[in-house]
Amino acid sequence: MKNGLIERLQKVIPVEWLNDWERDEIFSHLTYHEPLVEKAVIEQLGIIWPISSALCFYFLDHLKNGLACLSTEQLPDWVKGILDVYEADGLQAARRYMDDVEGNFLCRIRGEKGLTLAEIIPKLLPYIRGLSRKTLDLQPSASLHTDTNTLFLPREITSPANLSHNFYIYKLLASFLWAGIEQDIYCQQQTDPETLENFILSFEDQKLAMACYHLLQTVRVADFLKAYLPGLIRDGQTFFRRLRKEADLTDISPETGDGFAAVRSWLLAHCANDPLPELSGETESIIRKVVASDTHHKEVFAATTNFYERVRCHQEDFTLPCPLFFQGELRPQEARMARLSRREEHKQQFIKALAAVIPSRSAATQTEAEPAEKNQAHEVSESGASVSPMHQDGKKEKPEEDRQDDPRYICLDDEHLELPEELRHVAREIEDDLGAVPSFYIASASQMAGGRGRASGINLQPEEGLPLHGGLLYDEWDFRRCGFRKNWCSLIEKRIVPAKGTFVSHTMEKYRGQILQLKRQFEMMRTQQRFVKRQKDGDDIDLDALTEAYADVRAGLVPSERLFVRLQRDERDIAALFLVDMSSSTEGWVGTALKESLVLLSEALHSLGDRYAIYGFSGMRRSRSEIFHVKDFTEPYSEEIKGRIAAISPMDYTRMGPPIRHFTMVLKDVDARVRLLIILTDGKPEDYDDYKGEYAIEDTRHALIEAKAAGIHPFCISIDKEAQDYLGHIFGEINYTFINDVKKLPLRVPEIYRTLTS
Amino acid sequence: MQIAGQKIEEHLIHERPFYLPQKNEIIIAEAAYKNGIPLLLKGPTGSGKSRFMQFLAWKLKRPLITVSCHDDLSTSDLVGRYLIRGGETLWMDGPMTLAVRHGAICYLDEVVEARKDTTVVIHPLADDRRELAIEKRGELLTAPPEFMLAVSYNPGYQSILKDMKQSTRQRFIALELGYPPADLETEIVSHESGIEKQLARLLVRIAEMTRGLKDSGLQEGASTRLLVHAGLLIKDGIEPREACRVTITQALTDDRKLLYAIDEMISSVL
Ligand SMILES: Nc1ncnc2c1ncn2[C@@H]1O[C@H](COP(=O)(O)OP(=O)(O)OP(=O)(O)O)[C@@H](O)[C@H]1O
Ligand SMILES: [Mg+2]
Repeated sequence: MKNGLIERLQKVIPVEWLNDWERDEIFSHLTYHEPLVEKAVIEQLGIIWPISSALCFYFLDHLKNGLACLSTEQLPDWVKGILDVYEADGLQAARRYMDDVEGNFLCRIRGEKGLTLAEIIPKLLPYIRGLSRKTLDLQPSASLHTDTNTLFLPREITSPANLSHNFYIYKLLASFLWAGIEQDIYCQQQTDPETLENFILSFEDQKLAMACYHLLQTVRVADFLKAYLPGLIRDGQTFFRRLRKEADLTDISPETGDGFAAVRSWLLAHCANDPLPELSGETESIIRKVVASDTHHKEVFAATTNFYERVRCHQEDFTLPCPLFFQGELRPQEARMARLSRREEHKQQFIKALAAVIPSRSAATQTEAEPAEKNQAHEVSESGASVSPMHQDGKKEKPEEDRQDDPRYICLDDEHLELPEELRHVAREIEDDLGAVPSFYIASASQMAGGRGRASGINLQPEEGLPLHGGLLYDEWDFRRCGFRKNWCSLIEKRIVPAKGTFVSHTMEKYRGQILQLKRQFEMMRTQQRFVKRQKDGDDIDLDALTEAYADVRAGLVPSERLFVRLQRDERDIAALFLVDMSSSTEGWVGTALKESLVLLSEALHSLGDRYAIYGFSGMRRSRSEIFHVKDFTEPYSEEIKGRIAAISPMDYTRMGPPIRHFTMVLKDVDARVRLLIILTDGKPEDYDDYKGEYAIEDTRHALIEAKAAGIHPFCISIDKEAQDYLGHIFGEINYTFINDVKKLPLRVPEIYRTLTS
Repeated sequence: MQIAGQKIEEHLIHERPFYLPQKNEIIIAEAAYKNGIPLLLKGPTGSGKSRFMQFLAWKLKRPLITVSCHDDLSTSDLVGRYLIRGGETLWMDGPMTLAVRHGAICYLDEVVEARKDTTVVIHPLADDRRELAIEKRGELLTAPPEFMLAVSYNPGYQSILKDMKQSTRQRFIALELGYPPADLETEIVSHESGIEKQLARLLVRIAEMTRGLKDSGLQEGASTRLLVHAGLLIKDGIEPREACRVTITQALTDDRKLLYAIDEMISSVL
């Protein structure tokens, strides 16, 4: 053993903590190095050890490999890279990172940068959303897989080829993952979610069974993609060829090739559109079975069993190769969990949304039948509650790949209730998952609808009848009694002390290009000059009108006096008030995005010249509704205002009624042709007290109706995936929009304003 | 004083226009016609509204007079005006009057583009009075049973300045013409552009993908019309991806990221 090694090591790792075996292992890795190298390595061990001792041993394992192409000076940087990966994605990812020193590290420091997922998400996400027409998400991860909600893709792709090729690889991987979901390789379109897992469990060698299943399914998916996205597969010809060559799968014959390699070879040749390898009759028939267009999962199971047996009995010393690059990993368990959580989510959504639309008629019936409450669920389900797709023309639907219409009607107590748009969509998802909407969903909804009046009524008693004083008083709508609670809420206006920071200048920098573009767009909408015809006086004669008048005279009519054209500057004459949700839920991301939108909007409106005001709102309980003054209609956009925007921060709750009523009064007095009240919010109205659920929604809705009646156009922009069910109700069909990606908000808000007012 | 002669016959459609019904729109429209109720066609651009009107006119054997609305459209443009010809004044019927006189179908395309004071002339025509007042001539026309009024608009544009007044819209029977189901659309595209069904199906697939981009900020997905255009270019020997790029991608948006994503969809499919 080398002299003094223990001492030197002792300085960075407490050697007494190691057992003999571990100590030997470390020594065995260190002994052969030159003193300088050894010193450098020990230094690095000192850095890795406190983070993970397991990683330390892996590092030592890979050391020889690393030092073969790294200089001692590069060692610290490499370790830094390893630790980054370890912290982001864990041990296995770090191992993979160490495996490929060239691709993962050296290429990079030579400046051959790869393409990161973060860079391309803005392009890849719309691609995959368009493809799937579902809200699939993308996330970086060390291993390629999906839980059927999110596609997990590599954080970065560094292939020697150029960047556009790397984008292609991302697209290919994402498309394969999506196609796997689409082709139901996780058996989710079956009613029993555990099918796949149970099936695999029935094998002795489950790893092999899983690999066989995955490979056969990949064959199926690839075959589907080749027909569905022919361009995608065609563009990958070189890629698939190279993969085939690298995996040594080019020369396969029925005699030499084992079943597994043969199928892999066939798969890659099929994708590359190369001559298919000659297969043994049995393998051939297995493939033929899985690629048949109408394959049921049971048949894929049977083929898997068949294939598994073949691989097992023909090759005793068979070692399972890594899955092909684009296959990734199959994780049925994660998919099952995702499906369950999705199911629960849909159930909640469905029940809530349905309860909101079930007519009050059923609420009334239930109040009468109070003692029978327990039986309620029964009654409804026995009456055959069902969601059924009904088509106006009664035409049979085609069992095609094409999307079918969402169910439109629900049958409740033998009556058809038309489902609102969003609900139809959820109902379709539930049907896809469970085959039909379970009747107890509908029962719970009708129970919820029936119970709502009474249950919440009780909570309200104590506060009833205590009108408030102080501040500005506003009524609140109580939907249960169809009347106002007089002077129920007190609202105070507060000032915002401008913040000093760099928020606004940062935002301006971050969106520099977009702001320029916005300004250009908005300038184009500015006061346009145009000729208006048929004026009483003007800059020029209106020939059309004159001819007409002359003709009128000749016809014995009194001619019109409107014979001039005038160059008119069209004043836009729009006043917009932006009301920003400052409730505590906007903390973080959402708040930042809201503020950024205000900055962009102000810049854009500044160049447009429309009058606008900005206020925030929040509050707690009816006694303290607060509005925060950021900018009124008369103030110009200035440093002061910028400071106030920067100072907007999350406060308490979201009682929407009082601020809407307040600004309805404010806007009513503004002299403009079009008066807009634009509300930016992150979710539903809710306060600390009983201002929740339906009561809050109904009050907000009523406040908006009041605004409309006062000639104001309310419009809501909501950052909320779930909001859809109630917002439609609050605003009436067309006056709202959702943004489910916070990052898009800052640019979307000015854009929405533009479409609204042009 | 005479009325300038206009040939209503020119507006008759003799050949059966190619139209594949999406659902029951033909039956409904015929019923509306029979009962003298005007028709409102809703739907995104390029979804076959104009084509449907042509078909309907052909089927009902009535002339079709189409007016594309814009914000400079005046009442005289619709109703008519006096002209002078050879020292004589001469009344010239506007398209609306012409249609009423001859019991034709008058189709106001993109009706929300017209100013509100222009659209009010259709009010008495669109309810059970079915009357058109020609103020200048002091004439009150009552529309014959053969006359039909139809208007179209695209609810996708959310401009509040251009929303239709309730008093206008509640006079109509509304038909929604969305994007046709895939197999139907395939047939339309293949027929209209003369490309193979298989290729047409791929074009439809691209359109379906773009229609899934609403949440991502695309205002409207690719319409059937764009697909027909793409098909025509491909038929003319233009490389398919390129053809789609110029007819579909560029027509849909200016947003760089969306442009990229749509191009990627095209190159995946074609
Ligand atoms: N159902 C259909 N049957 C036959 N052709 C159709 C049908 N739907 C769409 N098309 C094709 O799409 C093209 C565009 O349709 P059309 O011009 O009628 O659209 P539109 O709804 O009037 O659009 P816009 O609102 O932009 O005027 C037609 O020229 C035709 O080729
Ligand atoms: Mg048209």
